[in-house]
Amino acid sequence: MEFKHIVSILIGLSGGIAVGGGFVAFITVLGIIPRLVQLTKTYKAVQAYEMSVITGAIAGSVGTLHMFTSSLPGVVTVPIGLAAGIFVGMLAAALTEVLNVFPILTKRIGQEHHLKLLIMAIVLGKITGSLFQWLIFEGY
Amino acid sequence: MNHRIYLQLFPVQKAEMGQTLLLSDVARLEGKDTLVTELAEIPIYTIGPGDKSHVVIDILTVLQSIHHWFPDIEIDVVGPTQTVTEIETPRSSKTSVLLVFVWILLFVGAGLTIMNFHEDVSMLEVHQKLHFLITGTENKQPLFIQIPYSFGLGIGMILFFNHIFKKRLNEEPSPLELEMHQYNQEINRYLAETESDRSSKTWNSNTSSPSS
Repeated sequence: MEFKHIVSILIGLSGGIAVGGGFVAFITVLGIIPRLVQLTKTYKAVQAYEMSVITGAIAGSVGTLHMFTSSLPGVVTVPIGLAAGIFVGMLAAALTEVLNVFPILTKRIGQEHHLKLLIMAIVLGKITGSLFQWLIFEGY
Repeated sequence: MNHRIYLQLFPVQKAEMGQTLLLSDVARLEGKDTLVTELAEIPIYTIGPGDKSHVVIDILTVLQSIHHWFPDIEIDVVGPTQTVTEIETPRSSKTSVLLVFVWILLFVGAGLTIMNFHEDVSMLEVHQKLHFLITGTENKQPLFIQIPYSFGLGIGMILFFNHIFKKRLNEEPSPLELEMHQYNQEINRYLAETESDRSSKTWNSNTSSPSS
């Protein structure tokens, strides 16, 4: 093994550690896993969820960095797309929540009891924006 | 004969403009029954046009009013020493126009930011690559991923806020409810500490206030 290979391994490994650490920290700060645990009352499965996130991240990086393909029917991508969407939706919700948007906004306009309505505005806006982008916007 | 009354101020309560707050509106009382019913009727404060959105009432003001009517009573105070009264203003048509405006603002803003996010992280490329990875065929517009993805986005947000289910999945408060509560609590604490009533007679005449 040449010197340049050793250097490459070192760079790749440290890059991976940095990115992986950052990824886990990000997920942790946003509190998505605790939220899912709370919703499903599966408090004992937290470790299993950790493993799921780790294996998912590894599978994702292997899938994108090394080009290998399978030939499954297109319908298989439907549940994957849905799961990806739910996850990103939770990320977006968690971000809005961390940034404290709703308490301040509803208080300012004196509409604390219309909170649900305003959340639905954001939710529907996200769905519409996303569909608009895929169906119309990207075509131009 | 002395009776001991225990008094606990409510941290927060709501009142309307012009309403006279009675002792029973701002505090919970415990003691001899006949005395408590009499005490409950003591007026503490009348909300006038000079008050804006919140009124902070100090425990000393409350004690002053009680001693005005019952000079010999002995009161033990439990809990907070200030109470914040939120004044409810009647809703006008202006606020509903405001609501519609904010709704549209949030809707458009949410749509735009998710598009920005997708562009930023090359979501389209990722979807195309994912489609190729699974099916082995190139597809410039992998709608089988994109449409479920878009609806999943909404489902995920709703799940996080726990709001679509009228019957909750469980009794724990959602993160947003906690956040609202914390925010309100911070406002009330701020008001209680900065706007508390320093005008009661006992305070001015018997002790020299540190701020003077």
